[in-house]
Amino acid sequence: MNFRAYRTAFAVHARQVSRYRGAAIGGMVTQAFFGVMLVALYSALAGEGELLRQTATYVWLQQIFFRAFFTTGGEINEQIMSGSVCYSLLRPIDLHFWCVCREMAAKIVGVSMRILPMFLIQFILPENWRMLPPNSLVGFIQFFLSLLIGFCVIAQVNMITAAVTMRTLDNKGFSGLINLVMMILSGNIIPLTLAPERLQAILRWQPFAQMLDAPIRMYLHTASLGEWALSFGVQLAWLVGLTLFSRALWGHNIRRIELQGG
Amino acid sequence: MQTQENIIEVSGLTKRYRRSKGGKGFLGLFRRETEIIEGLTDCSFSVNRGEIVGLLGPNGAGKSTTVKLLTGILTADSGDCRVFGLTPWLERRKAAAHLGAVFGQRMQLWWDVPILDSFRLLRDIYAVPEGKWKRRLDELTDALELQNLLQTPIRQMSLGQRMRAELCGSLLHEPELLFLDEPTIGLDAVSKLRLRDFLKRENADRGTTILLTTHDMSDMLALCPRVLVLGRGRLLYDGALDALLRRYDTLHTLRCIFDRETTLSGLPASVRVQREDEAWTLTFAPAEIPVGEVLEKILSSGKVRELTLKEQDSDELVARMYGDMKLA
Repeated sequence: MNFRAYRTAFAVHARQVSRYRGAAIGGMVTQAFFGVMLVALYSALAGEGELLRQTATYVWLQQIFFRAFFTTGGEINEQIMSGSVCYSLLRPIDLHFWCVCREMAAKIVGVSMRILPMFLIQFILPENWRMLPPNSLVGFIQFFLSLLIGFCVIAQVNMITAAVTMRTLDNKGFSGLINLVMMILSGNIIPLTLAPERLQAILRWQPFAQMLDAPIRMYLHTASLGEWALSFGVQLAWLVGLTLFSRALWGHNIRRIELQGG
Repeated sequence: MQTQENIIEVSGLTKRYRRSKGGKGFLGLFRRETEIIEGLTDCSFSVNRGEIVGLLGPNGAGKSTTVKLLTGILTADSGDCRVFGLTPWLERRKAAAHLGAVFGQRMQLWWDVPILDSFRLLRDIYAVPEGKWKRRLDELTDALELQNLLQTPIRQMSLGQRMRAELCGSLLHEPELLFLDEPTIGLDAVSKLRLRDFLKRENADRGTTILLTTHDMSDMLALCPRVLVLGRGRLLYDGALDALLRRYDTLHTLRCIFDRETTLSGLPASVRVQREDEAWTLTFAPAEIPVGEVLEKILSSGKVRELTLKEQDSDELVARMYGDMKLA
């Protein structure tokens, strides 16, 4: 396989996303607002102390990496709706992997642009509402690795959404639904760490928790080697499963295009 | 010396589309009827290396289907299709390296990155060595006058600029076979002429084989010595454009103005004579009565001040041809 093409796709798309400064600023304002609202809410509910600091940290990390949830947007959807996606088949590339590279570029660059300002915003807040530093260096490294897998998991869910769009030719219905489910089950609206213990035992293993929840837990508590291996394994298992599923959907769609035209 | 190598060989190619109609009434929500549409029926032809072949036909005739089958985007229902010896839909990625394509109404370059970035992507997709790519890019940007546009994304370009950029993108990997689907659609006269010149040179210098679909007869006349006429999914004509035109180009129009009031007489009934103020218009078929004979009659009738001979408009001609083939 010719990897140079995918690498360039990544680089070009990264540069493209880095041009959208307006979108980045808009996004940050929204996420900062949500961050403050949520932290204010939890501080009213939970009062002060360790739980609030941890919850505030969870909320801020979710907001900082929020951009990763969304698909790079426009182009592939537009191509799907206009039918020109079939002309992409003309190129000697693996379309699925190609799109994943673009998604990853958008996520990594989009998030990188937001990290520093989002981090700085907190210093205008009362100390209780700010995020904590990572629990330890090891925890931070675990967090970082887990975060990368989390992004890949999100990218595969985005690809599944795109595959459904290809079938229904409507990018609102299913993606609206899946985004809502994703926001709730990933812990973006209510931290999964706040759920009752027994519910958490279930919530932790579902695919959406592998996106940001699993890495954030590493950030908050340095995992023992066993815990880490388990969490990492579950993340990887979901990543592999979702990748196989989304590739199957794409393969099926492409065969349909081949039979029916664009 | 041109080698007579068939790079496209098609025989008995057939493609049907199934389209769901959506049943009637409430039950229709659950039960769908499908109707079968003939995209292409039993089509056979071949194309030699270095040819420029035009695909002609009204909307829905099967031109796009043919192109999509040849590029491997679509899978045929039956028949044999070889492009560079490969069956395109089975070995699409392998065949793709030899192919370039421009679809006039669909942009293939990436919408909001500078075209130079798109060209770099294409370089890597087709694994073109850096030096070769650079040389080819210089050559193409020169010929297509894109030097000042390399940093501009497609979305900020005019239609003519887009088409030139697309063309450049499709030729960077030096494909041996180029598909053009209505490349001059919406272009102004100057851009059209430039594009045609470029295509002719590309064909002459590199021997690039070109398969062109267009509704624009002037494109055909300028570029394609040979045409395939498709209608309702069937191949109706495969041969020289000249011969096709001669078959339908039966009517000539002579318009003349005499110095003095004259009467025109002695012309056979097959010549239709119309008069508007002082101008006479004679419509006739050269096959039935030679142009010279009509001219003689006119010249002997009086002193001629103005005389113009008009061949039939090519668009009218195509309309007549479609009418004759029962396509219109």
